[in-house]
Amino acid sequence: MSLIPGATSVFSDDQIAEGCVLVFLAKDVRDGALSYTRADADRIAGVLEEFHSEGWKLSVRAMFEPDGPDQAAVFATGFAFGADLAGVFEAPTISAALQGSVRLERAGWNRRFATEWLIGPRELAVVKGIGPDIDRPWGLLAFWEWNDARTAATPDERRDNDRDCDIAFQNDLNSNINMTGRHRLDWAHSWHHLSIWEATSPSLIDKVMYEHERVLDFRFATSRHIIGRRTPLIELLKP
Amino acid sequence: MTHCIWIHYARPRPHWYGLDEATQLALKRNWDEIRALSEREGAERIGSYHIRGNHDFETVEIWRFVTPEAAFEHWVKLTGERYNEWFAYANNIGFTTTS
Repeated sequence: MSLIPGATSVFSDDQIAEGCVLVFLAKDVRDGALSYTRADADRIAGVLEEFHSEGWKLSVRAMFEPDGPDQAAVFATGFAFGADLAGVFEAPTISAALQGSVRLERAGWNRRFATEWLIGPRELAVVKGIGPDIDRPWGLLAFWEWNDARTAATPDERRDNDRDCDIAFQNDLNSNINMTGRHRLDWAHSWHHLSIWEATSPSLIDKVMYEHERVLDFRFATSRHIIGRRTPLIELLKP
Repeated sequence: MTHCIWIHYARPRPHWYGLDEATQLALKRNWDEIRALSEREGAERIGSYHIRGNHDFETVEIWRFVTPEAAFEHWVKLTGERYNEWFAYANNIGFTTTS
C-alpha cells in the first residue's frame, strides 16, 4: 500500500493535477541601503497582473471562490513566526510556478523580502466548511512529512491512522473551517505536503487541533503549523 | 537552453539498518532501474556524493533535468517504489541562471 493516503472520506482527488502552488515564506529586508522603491513595487504589481491574466490564483481565497475578484493576498505571520508573511499562489503548471518566483525576483521582490519558495502540484480538492459562508480572516498553513513511524508502519496501521485522522478533519469541517485539500511539496523540499485552512480565529484553530492530537495525527505526521491574518499583498508592497 | 538542477539529499531511515544486505541490494537495484530510465528519457545524473562528514544527511545526488516536470516525475517514480519509506530526504530544484 502506498505511503501516502489517496482520496479519503473527507478529501477527494477530483482536482488532481489542476494547479501547482507557489508558496512563499518571506521576511522584510528593507533597510536604507537596499533601496526598495516605488518602481520595484510597480514592477512587482505588474508581474502579479500578468499572473492573473495567465490564469493564476493569487490567494487562498481564490481557491474557494475561483469566480471571485482574486485580490492578491497573503497571511501576516510575523507576530508568532520567524517569517513576516506566508503567501500561496496557484499557478497553472510546475514550470509556471517555478518561473513565477524568478519573475518576481527580477521585478525587485528580493529588495523587499528574503524568501523561501516552495512548489507543489495539487493532489486533493478543496473542501468547504459546513455552515454559512462567513468571513474567515485567519489562515493556518500546515506543512507535514510522513515520518519514520509512518514509513515503518504496516498497511493496516496506516489505514487505521488515515481513518482516525478523517474524524479530526470532519470535526474541522463541522467547525466551518475551509480546507484547501493537499499539495505535494516533497519533490523539491523536505516537507512532504501542505494543506491550508481558512478559519474565523486563532482560538478556533487551537481548539480543533486538540482533536487532531487525540486521534494521533502527529504520531505519523511530523508537522509545522503557521497561523496568520489575511492581508492584501498590495499593502505590504508599498515602499 | 534552460535546464533544471535537481538536488537530492538522503539518509537511511532507522528501519533500513534492520534489513539484511540481500534485501537492501534488491531494493537498490529497483531504484537504479528508475534512475536508468530517467537517463534514457534525457536526464543527466551528475553524481552522488558522500557528505555525512559535514551535513545532516549521508549523500547528496545531483541531476540535470530538461524541465522541472521531469524532475517531479522522477521523484514520483522513486516514491512509487517506496524509496522515501526507506530514506529520509530533502530535495530542491532550480533553473539555470541567466544573467
